[in-house]
Amino acid sequence: MIFNSLTFLVFFAIVMALHYAPFFSWKQKKINLLIASYLFYAAWNPPFVVLLWISTVVDWWAAQWMVRAKQERTRRLWMLTSVVVNLGMLGYFKYGGFLLDNFVTVAGSLGIIYHPPGWDIILPVGISFYTFATLSYTLDVYLRRSAPAGSFLNYALFVTFFPHLVAGPIMRPTELVPQFEEPRQAKSNQIFFGLALLTLGMFQKVVLADGFLAPVVEAVYDAHGKVPGMLDSWVATLAFAGQIFCDFAGYSTSAIGVALCLGFAMPDNFRFPYGAVGFSDFWRRWHITLSSWLRDYLYIPLGGNRHGQARTYMALMGTMLLGGLWHGANWTFVVWGGLHGAYLSAERWLRSRFKGVTPGRVSMLGLALLTFILINITWVFFRAKTFAGAGIVLKGMAGMQDKPVPLIAAGPMIIAMTIVSAIFGTHLAMRNTTLEAVLERTPSVAIASVWTLLLFAVIIEQGQGSAFIYFAF
Amino acid sequence: MHSSTSPSERGLTGARDGALPPGLRKTAADRPGQAQPVPVRDVPARPWVKMGLSVFAAVAVLMTGWEWVAREKIGLRAGDIGDSPQAWGEARRAADYGEVAIVGDSRILFDTDQARFQALTGIRPVQVSHVGTNSRTLLEHFANDPKFHGLLIVGLADTMYFGMPVIGLAGNAVHNYDKNNKPSQLTGLWIDRWLQNYLAFMDEDYRLSRMLPKWDHGWRKGPDSPYEDVWKISETFPGRQYFMWDRILTDPYLRGHARHAWDGFKGPNISPTVAEKVIARSAEAVRRIRARGGDVVFVRPPSAPQLRVNEDKRIPRTLGWDRLLAGANAKGVHADDLPQAQHLLIPEWSHLSRQCATVFTDAYVRRLTQLTPRLKLRSDAPSPLSRADCVPANIASL
Repeated sequence: MIFNSLTFLVFFAIVMALHYAPFFSWKQKKINLLIASYLFYAAWNPPFVVLLWISTVVDWWAAQWMVRAKQERTRRLWMLTSVVVNLGMLGYFKYGGFLLDNFVTVAGSLGIIYHPPGWDIILPVGISFYTFATLSYTLDVYLRRSAPAGSFLNYALFVTFFPHLVAGPIMRPTELVPQFEEPRQAKSNQIFFGLALLTLGMFQKVVLADGFLAPVVEAVYDAHGKVPGMLDSWVATLAFAGQIFCDFAGYSTSAIGVALCLGFAMPDNFRFPYGAVGFSDFWRRWHITLSSWLRDYLYIPLGGNRHGQARTYMALMGTMLLGGLWHGANWTFVVWGGLHGAYLSAERWLRSRFKGVTPGRVSMLGLALLTFILINITWVFFRAKTFAGAGIVLKGMAGMQDKPVPLIAAGPMIIAMTIVSAIFGTHLAMRNTTLEAVLERTPSVAIASVWTLLLFAVIIEQGQGSAFIYFAF
Repeated sequence: MHSSTSPSERGLTGARDGALPPGLRKTAADRPGQAQPVPVRDVPARPWVKMGLSVFAAVAVLMTGWEWVAREKIGLRAGDIGDSPQAWGEARRAADYGEVAIVGDSRILFDTDQARFQALTGIRPVQVSHVGTNSRTLLEHFANDPKFHGLLIVGLADTMYFGMPVIGLAGNAVHNYDKNNKPSQLTGLWIDRWLQNYLAFMDEDYRLSRMLPKWDHGWRKGPDSPYEDVWKISETFPGRQYFMWDRILTDPYLRGHARHAWDGFKGPNISPTVAEKVIARSAEAVRRIRARGGDVVFVRPPSAPQLRVNEDKRIPRTLGWDRLLAGANAKGVHADDLPQAQHLLIPEWSHLSRQCATVFTDAYVRRLTQLTPRLKLRSDAPSPLSRADCVPANIASL
């Protein structure tokens, strides 16, 4: 099920009614939420609920046996069991076809012709997200950062809780399990603020991402055989920067709003990322729950910055390459991650080289703009389905196409660039504050007016129930 | 469940009244290598309940106004339930168990009145056609489906059938056919249809993002502006029953725009070699359907002389239609051969008016009952219709 669907509206109304019904105990309410979350997941593909159950049960028992183990070896064995089961499922469903294709290519290059049967495996929605969430549970217990959950119900609900289940934010057990331990009900103001966030998220997704930005992106990135020029290539790529932000941040904002309506707090996943100055700043603002997961469970275990410069750069590149691969089973995503790794490494080197230099306001603005432009170059590999496709757009961006043809009409182009400029400007202006702090300073009439317009725009845009981009990851 | 978070941080958990001061809103990015605490969600100190209630009231007023505009100014109607890949998939699944299915492009989709078909034969056909598509790809979709054993009526516009190398607008529906039947998609479809029975403004062609870019009347040379797109020309009712939107008849601007959007069906001539390849593939598809007990007939709905001149130039009947029937060893009904279907009302030159669709259906179904034993004229079938039943007296004004 997706938030921007009529089915979700009905589902959410029923969940709210059950959650605030006076005749259920807290335990019964949690069971209701658990059942609702399974329904939420099954509404997309019922058989894949089994994978959720496997992940839940294996990690629960792995953590339990880890705590009871007297020897370090046994603890490690249980941790590895959890890692193998979770990454095994992820590998089979998400990377099986990719690995097979690459094997065939490598074998072919060695003169071995191999024709494997077709790999018609459907990717279970959200598997990358809940795999990382459950892994953090066993890894935190193994690393003695936290104790196992006290109740299986609380743990199962942590894994399955529908607002974060299929596209994050990737929550850690320590963030959510304690919230299930005591009865939680949102106050009226929290419910309405949650609904305001849900409206904002839906506006980003339905109106901006799907309605106005996606067609501009598709006009260039899906223009089979047509070659874009400099203007079209840049406009489409900038539009994609806006689309992917509005799509994914829209989902996270909606998820936070939905959870808040039910009385639960979820962490920020985006903090005005296009206002970043530098790439380490960007990754502290973009998909925060993933970047911090990769940092805590990959970069630090790989050595982090504790073993000299060379090892640090290797850990950085390794983390970003794998982070790229997490986004999709395609080498284009690996290159996307690799570019970010290269940016981060270059930035780290420059910072050590120019230690003590503090840029002024104008320089900061210039650096923010440079960061944004360089990030847009990485988006080309993220959006293009092939390297050939990416090459066409990059060549277009460099103004090196011989006979380009105009692909984007003026009207959609103007609207898309207005939206992207507004996003970039807003992110710059708000890079040191929060939405909440700004809202607190804003007159109620202004907030209500904007909220009205956003909600009305969502309704008259109607939406087509298209899935969020990150569902595919 | 304990965490390694500092006590001061642990104090700030869950929801909090009032926005946090700058710098206190921390995220996992600020806490490397440790268990993350319960997040803080600060709720800005604003009268959210009052604001929310005002917003809902204001939106209700705006929606009422918008619904009025949709009905009175735009001419939309409640009950026009639209179409979607999910609705196509639903019809496609139903076709496996139906006696008669219709595939084709928008012409056979608009020009078939399912109720008339049923009144004449006792069978309600399953409408699986799709706008802007090549009927041959849909024919092959059925040929590849071992479950289908019925009669397949293939409606075609010659230039699209013989000259369109790709599937066209049905691509999403056909390629994602197996993926478009998720429980949430089906419930969404049902809720959507239920709402559209009461709300006129819910119309794919009058979404915000469709309306705004129409201001661009081709400001940039080269790409087609949204103004050049095909706008709303149809209404859709249960069973994917398409009919021409009445406003195309009554509004000269919309009618003129629709005619303009077809661009005369101009294009390069279709070579006999290409046409023969299409015929060969069609013949193979027909053979496969017949091999398992099904059958195929072809129907060519009418088009206005303004388009027909270019259609005939690009693929003359002798090289296209006639060769197709011969090559596929199939029966077919061409609109030219139906005396009752001559000079019908084709307001935007490509699709019949709603009333004339009934007349054309009456004519082609009666002919089909003579061509295939799978369709029989009911003994209590209504009397034949003629041009006079659908063409208004003031036809000259169109």
